[in-house]
Amino acid sequence: MAAVDYLLHESAVGYAIFQVVHQADTIGNRLKEVQDAGQDLAKFGKMVKVVGFAPYRTAAEALENVNLVSEGVMSDYLRSELELNLPKPSKKKKIVLGVSDKTLAGSIKASFPGIECETGDTSEVVGDLLRGLRFHAGKLLVKLQEGDVDRAQLGLGHAYSRAKVKFSVQKNDNHIIQAIATLDHLDKAVNTFSMRVREWYGWHFPELVRIVSDNHTYAKLALAIGDKQTLTQDSLHDIAALVNDDGDLAQAVIDAARVSMGQAISDADMENVSAFANRVVKLAEYRKSLYQYLVDKMAIVAPNLATLIGEVVAARLISHAGSLTNLSKYPASTVQILGAEKALFRALKTKGNTPKYGLIYHSSFIGRAGAKNKGRISRFLANKCSIASRIDNFSEDPNTKFGEALRKQVEERLDFYATGTAPTKNEDAMRSAMDAVLGDIQIDDIPMTDAAPQSEKKEKKSKDKKDKDSKKDKKRRHSEVNGDEEAVEKKKKKKSKKESSSD
Amino acid sequence: MTDRSVRDKGDSRGGRGRGAPRGGGGRGGGAKGGAKTIVEPHRHAGIFVARGKEDMLVTKNLSPGVSVYGEKRISVENSSGADDTVSKTEYRVWNPFRSKLAAGVLGGLDEIFIKPGAKVLYLGAASGTSVSHVADIVGPTGTVFAVEFSHRSGRDLINMATHRTNVIPIIEDARHPLKYRMLVSMVDVIFADVAQPDQARIVGLNAHLFLKVGGGVVVSIKANCIDSTAAPEAVFAREVTKLREERIKPLEQLTLEPFERDHAMVVGRYVRSTT
Repeated sequence: MAAVDYLLHESAVGYAIFQVVHQADTIGNRLKEVQDAGQDLAKFGKMVKVVGFAPYRTAAEALENVNLVSEGVMSDYLRSELELNLPKPSKKKKIVLGVSDKTLAGSIKASFPGIECETGDTSEVVGDLLRGLRFHAGKLLVKLQEGDVDRAQLGLGHAYSRAKVKFSVQKNDNHIIQAIATLDHLDKAVNTFSMRVREWYGWHFPELVRIVSDNHTYAKLALAIGDKQTLTQDSLHDIAALVNDDGDLAQAVIDAARVSMGQAISDADMENVSAFANRVVKLAEYRKSLYQYLVDKMAIVAPNLATLIGEVVAARLISHAGSLTNLSKYPASTVQILGAEKALFRALKTKGNTPKYGLIYHSSFIGRAGAKNKGRISRFLANKCSIASRIDNFSEDPNTKFGEALRKQVEERLDFYATGTAPTKNEDAMRSAMDAVLGDIQIDDIPMTDAAPQSEKKEKKSKDKKDKDSKKDKKRRHSEVNGDEEAVEKKKKKKSKKESSSD
Repeated sequence: MTDRSVRDKGDSRGGRGRGAPRGGGGRGGGAKGGAKTIVEPHRHAGIFVARGKEDMLVTKNLSPGVSVYGEKRISVENSSGADDTVSKTEYRVWNPFRSKLAAGVLGGLDEIFIKPGAKVLYLGAASGTSVSHVADIVGPTGTVFAVEFSHRSGRDLINMATHRTNVIPIIEDARHPLKYRMLVSMVDVIFADVAQPDQARIVGLNAHLFLKVGGGVVVSIKANCIDSTAAPEAVFAREVTKLREERIKPLEQLTLEPFERDHAMVVGRYVRSTT
């Protein structure tokens, strides 16, 4: 192992390059004396020498460089600094540069062929020297004044963190999470408020509850009727319009109003009841629009998952995982019991039976399975959900093709448990879904890529075969153009593997 | 071992609102009226004890007049003998039910390394409630590097840090200390409250990069987060061994009862040299 010649120190103020004057010993590195020497500025100052220091010129430049260093990318500024301060390496002897991060080391090596890099991971000496630099850099760099580094760290820390918070990858997920949480609250609120309307308006018109059981309709009727004395045969149409054009029901309401045993109500009281009923109706309407929003949003963010288990359960899964990305990283076993953590950990602690399902219980599939098969279908469904979430998360422009195929698979599996009809083989199901996806892409591409005219005289038989070939061709081309297609394909392979093992 | 992606949320509701009333609003008038309360310094420098109807742990408020998370503030008049100018010092009440470090201090930790002028690397800063107290302790001459991964709580952390210039907020994964190496200098102590199964490794990684030789390590361990099936004592013992492998010499271990269930605080010293 070559001894380290130079060291790169990245800090909040700038890049600094140090030359290692006095080589440390690898063997005695952990000795107390050696370690103490690193602590002592006088001794450490003799081991290294500053050869170059490039402070950031502006705050923006600093932030940019810090972001790049954090990602392990060499900025142009760092490149010029390295070019300037490192001697030209001869063929025989390469220069060894000590860097903290191995990704950054990789990018430096890539653009400076004459430089070898050592990191703290590969050499403990380098790690110690870099620690020493971090410890003493403020003093070794004579250009710096006391407190410069601290100030730079503070400013940069704020800028860096602010940028991190601002730039959130899961922008859409957040809206879904908030929407589903609001929806849950709304459901609760609408229900309690509706009960209150029934209670309140019931003093005036107690018979209405019997006739109209639906909360929302009741609130609307209460609002429309107002004082029951005003209700005459003329308003039959208006009432009917509120109860789905059910003439009998509307007539029943009017009849009941005539013989009602409710108390009379003053105008001021009625006004308040109406105002409240109005709020409840509005709230229920808002709930509907919010639900529509959620459905639309899910169709953009996670179409496959939504197709497979429904928008609400899908949204709940995402909300529980924190984001679609998190959900797609979960193994299917986790997805299966997501939402049943309490039961799971209780079971683990008491060595009891672990729960069969969590949130996915609310999908219709599990309710439809027989008691014996609930656990099985839950496991199967969780597998499919996991795959669907991955397709949604990692494909650039997801559609519902896979979701539909997966849904069909679950249906078939249910059928298999009930009647014993053999389901489609996973391989076939996935291939047809893949073909459907590719078919879509092909339609888009034909005018652009298929410039070569196909001879029309070709026989039908061979055309079939050719179609397949061109499909494959497309596949290849696409995987070259965008990695997205490739990802889906890989997933498919993975999936079939998984299937074969789990079945 | 349990699957890492499943978190035991059953009995953990985060730090917030387990036992204590939010914002300490419950005790009517106990702490108010600074005339009655006397503030004495605690054994650990930078921490104080307010003796009133009941004793409370307090720290000197760095930005007087502002509560960070709705905690109570106690103002004490200290007349400086010569002239009659009455200066006021403001303290903030530090709730041990919300802050594990406060629980550790109340539990009687011998050494917390966090003292005025110290540089602290705080892993798992969350919304910055405890961090604000640590910032109070280290004072204007010290620095707190507060690392938090979650964007949501990071937002609150940044807001808190704008009022306290000795806090440097870092929104980054503590598992990858190299990503924030430009923002951190050598520190005197690492405080870790990350509640992750690989907590010891995280602490080790950070210590190797940023902790001075002989610096302190204070780790709060939640047994349930590491292994929910094993006995808490076994988990603690295992974590201490792991810390030892990271060249952190354990000094003391303390349970955080009655403030937290199945939690332990481990204090150690970073010893880089081996002899």
